[in-house]
Amino acid sequence: MAQEIFMPKLSSTMEVGTLLQWFKEEGDSVEVGEPLFEIMTDKINIEVESYEEGILLKRYFDVDDEVPINTVIGYIGEADEQVPDTAPSQEGKIEETPALEQNEEKVEADPSYEQAETSEESGKVRATPAARKIARDNDVELQYVSGSGPKGRVHKQDVLDYAKENKVLITPLAEKMAKDHALDLSAIQGTGVRGKIDKQDVENYLASHKATSEETERVKLKGLRKAIADKMLESARTIPHVTLTTEVDMTAVINIRKQLLPIVEEQTGFRLSFTEIIIKATAHTLMKYPKLNASLIKDEIVFNRDVNIGLAVAVENGLIVPSIHNADKKGLAELTEVSKTLGMKARDSKLTPEEMTGSTFTISNLGMYAIDGFTPIINPPETAILGVGRINEKPVVVDKEIKIKPMMVLSLSFDHRAIDGAPAAEFLTALKETLENPFSILV
Amino acid sequence: MEQFDVAIVGGGPGGYVAAIRAAKSGLTVALIEGNELGGTCLNRGCIPSKTLLKHAEVLKQIKDSSALAIHVENVSVDLATMIERKNNVINQLKNGIKGLLRQNKIKYYQGYGYVADDGKVTIKSEKSNENIQAKHVILATGSQVFIPPIQGAQEVTMYTSDTIFDIEEIPERLVIVGGGVIGLEIACIFNSLGTKVDIVEMAERILPMEDREAGEFLKKELENDGITFHIDAQVTEFKKTETDNKVIFHKDGKEITLETDIILMSVGRRPNVTGIEDLTIQFDGPFVKVDKNMQTSQPNIYAVGDLIGGFQLAHAASNEGIRAVDHILGNENKKNAIIPHCVYTFPEIASVGFTEEQAKEAGHQVKVKKIDLAGNGKAISALENKGFMKIIADKKYNEVLGVVMVGAHVTEMISQATAFMHLEGTVEEIESMVFPHPTLAEGLFEAASAYLGKGIHYN
Repeated sequence: MAQEIFMPKLSSTMEVGTLLQWFKEEGDSVEVGEPLFEIMTDKINIEVESYEEGILLKRYFDVDDEVPINTVIGYIGEADEQVPDTAPSQEGKIEETPALEQNEEKVEADPSYEQAETSEESGKVRATPAARKIARDNDVELQYVSGSGPKGRVHKQDVLDYAKENKVLITPLAEKMAKDHALDLSAIQGTGVRGKIDKQDVENYLASHKATSEETERVKLKGLRKAIADKMLESARTIPHVTLTTEVDMTAVINIRKQLLPIVEEQTGFRLSFTEIIIKATAHTLMKYPKLNASLIKDEIVFNRDVNIGLAVAVENGLIVPSIHNADKKGLAELTEVSKTLGMKARDSKLTPEEMTGSTFTISNLGMYAIDGFTPIINPPETAILGVGRINEKPVVVDKEIKIKPMMVLSLSFDHRAIDGAPAAEFLTALKETLENPFSILV
Repeated sequence: MEQFDVAIVGGGPGGYVAAIRAAKSGLTVALIEGNELGGTCLNRGCIPSKTLLKHAEVLKQIKDSSALAIHVENVSVDLATMIERKNNVINQLKNGIKGLLRQNKIKYYQGYGYVADDGKVTIKSEKSNENIQAKHVILATGSQVFIPPIQGAQEVTMYTSDTIFDIEEIPERLVIVGGGVIGLEIACIFNSLGTKVDIVEMAERILPMEDREAGEFLKKELENDGITFHIDAQVTEFKKTETDNKVIFHKDGKEITLETDIILMSVGRRPNVTGIEDLTIQFDGPFVKVDKNMQTSQPNIYAVGDLIGGFQLAHAASNEGIRAVDHILGNENKKNAIIPHCVYTFPEIASVGFTEEQAKEAGHQVKVKKIDLAGNGKAISALENKGFMKIIADKKYNEVLGVVMVGAHVTEMISQATAFMHLEGTVEEIESMVFPHPTLAEGLFEAASAYLGKGIHYN
């Protein structure tokens, strides 16, 4: 019995996944654990591995298709097993393939026409086979054609009308030039009679686009970059951010790290860094201030029981936030091992969906740069994020005397919808105190 | 002081066409002309030469008619009546222009216009001085015959294109100084009338602005018809004797003297700047400097026609006049017009766009295809199978860069080549168009198909 391949639900907020690529062709054999396809969610892009072994019998969706979670996107099974021609709907029913009498025009028996119209649910346009053929012949993209048939089905005449209305006027010479440079005619402004595009128009277009393309590299926003862009925009646009800063005397943390470093290294093989101490201190403090460990989901503030610290990790061309689950319950040795392992996996794009989701509070550490404070952007649905700056030796007044101390700025951004200034300030003050007296986190 | 939207100084093909276009576009227009409406073209250029060339053509056909088994004897020519017909043609067309000016309510001032920077125009005539004020002025003062300062030029019997079309007697001998369009057309007229014609040209070829092959082809044909050429020859002196006139020139280091009845001086034309001396506008050499909109360095002053140089052709001037009006109406002229040019000799030359040399200079990947009209069916049947058609194109997109036609009636056929260039059809489009058979025009199809390696009658 052939097994369905579903669009997985990778996070609590994921509703659709965008197919980025298939790693297997129909007919390829697939092993358990082999990467099958790559998808992009609202958070990240991720390779999905196969849970089954067999032959990839069917792929219902193409690259860039947006597929709702739990939709069947393909089948794996034995070589000669029968599977539906079109993707079964979410209820598991197989959609009816339209009968031939629905088609106004008889067309040659080309097997690709047999698929006929596909439903809107799968993101395709409803169109008759004749309309599809005419569209192909005339380079018309069906998605732009408004259909006159039932449920907006596109008929042959709709395509013909569209092609006629949208015919680009262009001189033969200009057309040759445009084709040669693979230009999209709709982007070129025609200055001739009735907007006809001529040689000069093409040359002007080329000149204006040459100037920019030679000077600056242009990269399309896609994949991880697109996911980050969407997420950051959503956060910045929807969350009223307030950022508080405080300065922490790191003398004690430096001492404790010096003492623990060889112990942790011996136990785990990893070097304890300030990041882990700050994670530990933060998790410890969050336990006392659950408001800062909350998520805002729709119109509910969810006070998370677990303290899962998201750790912002810079990767090539982006940023990934793996999650250290139950950070408050982990000792420094374990934290070091987990955070170092997650960091490596993030950079190697090997994080599992579990490792990438579920964080309740994020820490972004820029202390390795010459950065003191900054205004971090909250990783929704979380309600707060901590920005960590460098440790910098500074003159500070202690007991009316100027002393040189290693100081570090903490920047806390919080969602003012969920948290007010006073509790956020209380939390940050408590965190500062914890770091200045770090022995409390060890007990 | 009367106010106008546009005052146009000069009533030639640049000025009067601009006046009509402006008036039809709703502007109030003054047209100022001190001489004759129609300018050089109608009174002393295109039209008189074409009229007399028709007489010459018929004479030539009569002379050649024995080849068609038609024998004509005792052919006589009445020059005075020919000149009268020429004048009638001019008057008919001039009355046409006058009618159009009236019809379009254009205020026509007879007098010479003197223009100031602020758009004030003083019109001076024998009777009075009158001032008008215009928001925009179009300068269309044209050009004058240029007579180089050569010793003896004032003493000899010398004609120019201003006077030759009113000649009262057919000379036995004519020396033409200058082998350009004007000199060659007048050479054809007098050659047919039986005059012995010598042409002295300073450059190393005739028609230096035209395609080299076309000039060479024409020179051979004219030599066959009895015209003598002295190329690369520098006239140094004119001498008047009691019996005749002498033209002395140097060629290949030797001094040669031609004896002649009359001399035609046709070495070129100079812009006529009378009336625009007070303007603070920029010049480009002897010509008024303008941009694509025909605008001078004074935004309210435009200039068109021979005054700004370029082809110095009537249709170029008319197009420039229309562009100037377009810009006054607020439209930008972004593109250069494609201007064809014609030489009405026997045979004719008509060309448009680049010559082969110009196309190479402009950096094109030039491919040229020339087909001879010797094998053209219509041409053979009419005894007119002398000439060629040539397509000059850029290999990359087979863009038509230029077309040169030499032969009978080619001045009527060049517009189909111009149409392809104007509408940006490439060689492929010429080849795929259906031409009627039998016609001389088929030559263009043959040239296009041969260019593409698909020639039917040619390779």
